[in-house]
Amino acid sequence: MKSLIIGETSKGTLSQGTLEIAGKLQSEGLDFHLVVIGSEDNPKIGGDTFNATYLKINSEELTLSSVADNINKIIKENSINMILASSTYIGRDITGFLSVDLNSSPVSNVVNFTLSGDDVMTTNSIDGGESEYITKVTSDYKLLIIRPKSFEPAEILLNENYESINIESNELTTSVYDVFVEEKTGPQLDDSKIVISAGRGMVEVDNLKYINELALKLNAAIGGTRAIVDAGWMPYSQQVGQTGKTVKPDVYIACGISGATQHQVGMKDSKYIIAINKDEEAPIFQIADLGIVGDTLNIIPKLIENL
Amino acid sequence: MKIAVCAKQIPDPAIAVSYEGGAISRPEEQVLDDTDRYGIEVALQLKEKFDAEVIVLSMGKLGTQKGIQQALQMGADKALVIEDDSLVNANSLMTSNVLSSMAKSAEADVIIFGTESSDGYSGVVPQQVSRYLNLPCISYVKGIEINDDTILTRQTITGSEKVTMPDKCVISVTASGVEPRYPNFKDIMAAKSKPVEVISISSIELTAIQNQEFVEINSISSDKSGEKHIDEGNSFNLIIEKLKEIKAI
Ligand SMILES: Cc1cc2nc3c(=O)[nH]c(=O)nc-3n(C[C@H](O)[C@H](O)[C@H](O)COP(=O)(O)OP(=O)(O)OC[C@H]3O[C@@H](n4cnc5c(N)ncnc54)[C@H](O)[C@@H]3O)c2cc1C
Ligand SMILES: Nc1ncnc2c1ncn2[C@@H]1O[C@H](COP(=O)(O)O)[C@@H](O)[C@H]1O
Repeated sequence: MKSLIIGETSKGTLSQGTLEIAGKLQSEGLDFHLVVIGSEDNPKIGGDTFNATYLKINSEELTLSSVADNINKIIKENSINMILASSTYIGRDITGFLSVDLNSSPVSNVVNFTLSGDDVMTTNSIDGGESEYITKVTSDYKLLIIRPKSFEPAEILLNENYESINIESNELTTSVYDVFVEEKTGPQLDDSKIVISAGRGMVEVDNLKYINELALKLNAAIGGTRAIVDAGWMPYSQQVGQTGKTVKPDVYIACGISGATQHQVGMKDSKYIIAINKDEEAPIFQIADLGIVGDTLNIIPKLIENL
Repeated sequence: MKIAVCAKQIPDPAIAVSYEGGAISRPEEQVLDDTDRYGIEVALQLKEKFDAEVIVLSMGKLGTQKGIQQALQMGADKALVIEDDSLVNANSLMTSNVLSSMAKSAEADVIIFGTESSDGYSGVVPQQVSRYLNLPCISYVKGIEINDDTILTRQTITGSEKVTMPDKCVISVTASGVEPRYPNFKDIMAAKSKPVEVISISSIELTAIQNQEFVEINSISSDKSGEKHIDEGNSFNLIIEKLKEIKAI
């Protein structure tokens, strides 16, 4: 099986999601070709054990259809039959475009896969992780969109050994302006040992000050449910769940979160889960190691005071 | 201007999903996917400004058509719908193939989607449709300002960015940024007389193939049966003890 990873850059190197896919392919003993999409200059994305191509885009243009054309060419030239991307904005856009070109429907939300002869068996986690759905992909081209945190990241020495292609705009390119970069200071959701998440059970946006104080004391990253992100209490980049981030910290503290399956899917694999919710029947308690039935607004201030 | 908005009927999300041979079981009465209300809202804002016609496109079991009615009640002008046994377990590419043909026959300039349906959540249908139709794809839109130009704000991994809406394009809308409207009694009554045209599969050139065989669904025992305590004023101590026990502090 000749594989291609559709990767992305992050801070001058490969994104975590890209490394996770590389890690899985390595552990299966599969060679891969890596294409990496990014707008940074000279990132460290190449290696000695694989071929890499850097597709450099202009951050002032939306030109992913042209990126897909280039990847399609690489797929054909290298007789690739399995294509893997991380479930990011760019990953989904590119895989969607390629699936039309290759007439092969992608499998989305893949958390694991195995090879079986010429076929690939994929596993999707459904019902908030309570069930797994297994599919066999039988087409010549197999496109897989992988959920973050599904595999251990590869440990590879990265260098600047790769081919670079400047992506040209095409008739579908749209120009982009007012690019806004959210400031992210303090511990990050992706790699923090402790994550504290807030839900509607924090009652009012002002009460998030308790979450901030607690996070400061525990050196934790802060997350939230879609309900509070939609309410504008927190930026989208902090949303945990099916349409947000997947986290796997040592400790996850869910404060006033009901535990909808779409939230669980993004946090249920945390090592130790603490939940505070006033409703004894809240689904979050089914996956909590320590459940406290009570009022967040009573418990959290005391917790901060006594830490 | 003609705007097509793709919207899906799904089983009532309050009831746990069940499966039949790998496909989601669909009752006669299905509702409008909440995710699609955001796309419909964007379509309606464009309609108000540009006097556009808004056409709902929907594929899947029709049943009582409650979800289709809900889309029309919000203010769409008419619906094109398709139901066929061969589409019951359609993958994302077949779905996009069908929706693209429908958008073409509706002569739509702008085609609007949610970013991810609540039941299937493949999250690639808008991108696929843009590729089939060779249109610019403005994905993950989380805000719209309509002045002389229409400015769309896109969600990106690092923050956001703005684009001017092209005259012909595909847009996917995230579940924030716009506030979907609620129909009043008059809207609900008016929807009943709006046209719902049923399209036959024979009018669609289906090139996408079924490339995924359902194998099985396994349940994973994830019941942690952890401890649960009712707070009596000092459960903060319990939390601190546990954090120490697992060496988190
Ligand atoms: C397609 C789709 C994708 C989605 N993606 C995501 C996602 O990525 N992430 C996500 O989080 N959600 C997602 N959702 C939404 C999800 O279904 C839930 O609606 C959401 O997670 C609920 O957020 P919540 O727990 O904050 O609010 P609620 O469900 O309203 O729960 C609030 C909880 O707080 C408790 N509470 C209230 N007051 C107090 C108090 N004073 N003290 C203690 N407890 C209190 C209540 O008992 C309740 O359990 C998605 C939904 C769909 C349809
Ligand atoms: N069967 C369908 N009928 C109409 N629209 C659909 C259908 N399936 C998907 N869509 C559209 O595509 C978006 C993304 O869906 P998905 O790619 O399935 O997650 C949805 O929000 C809808 O706008």
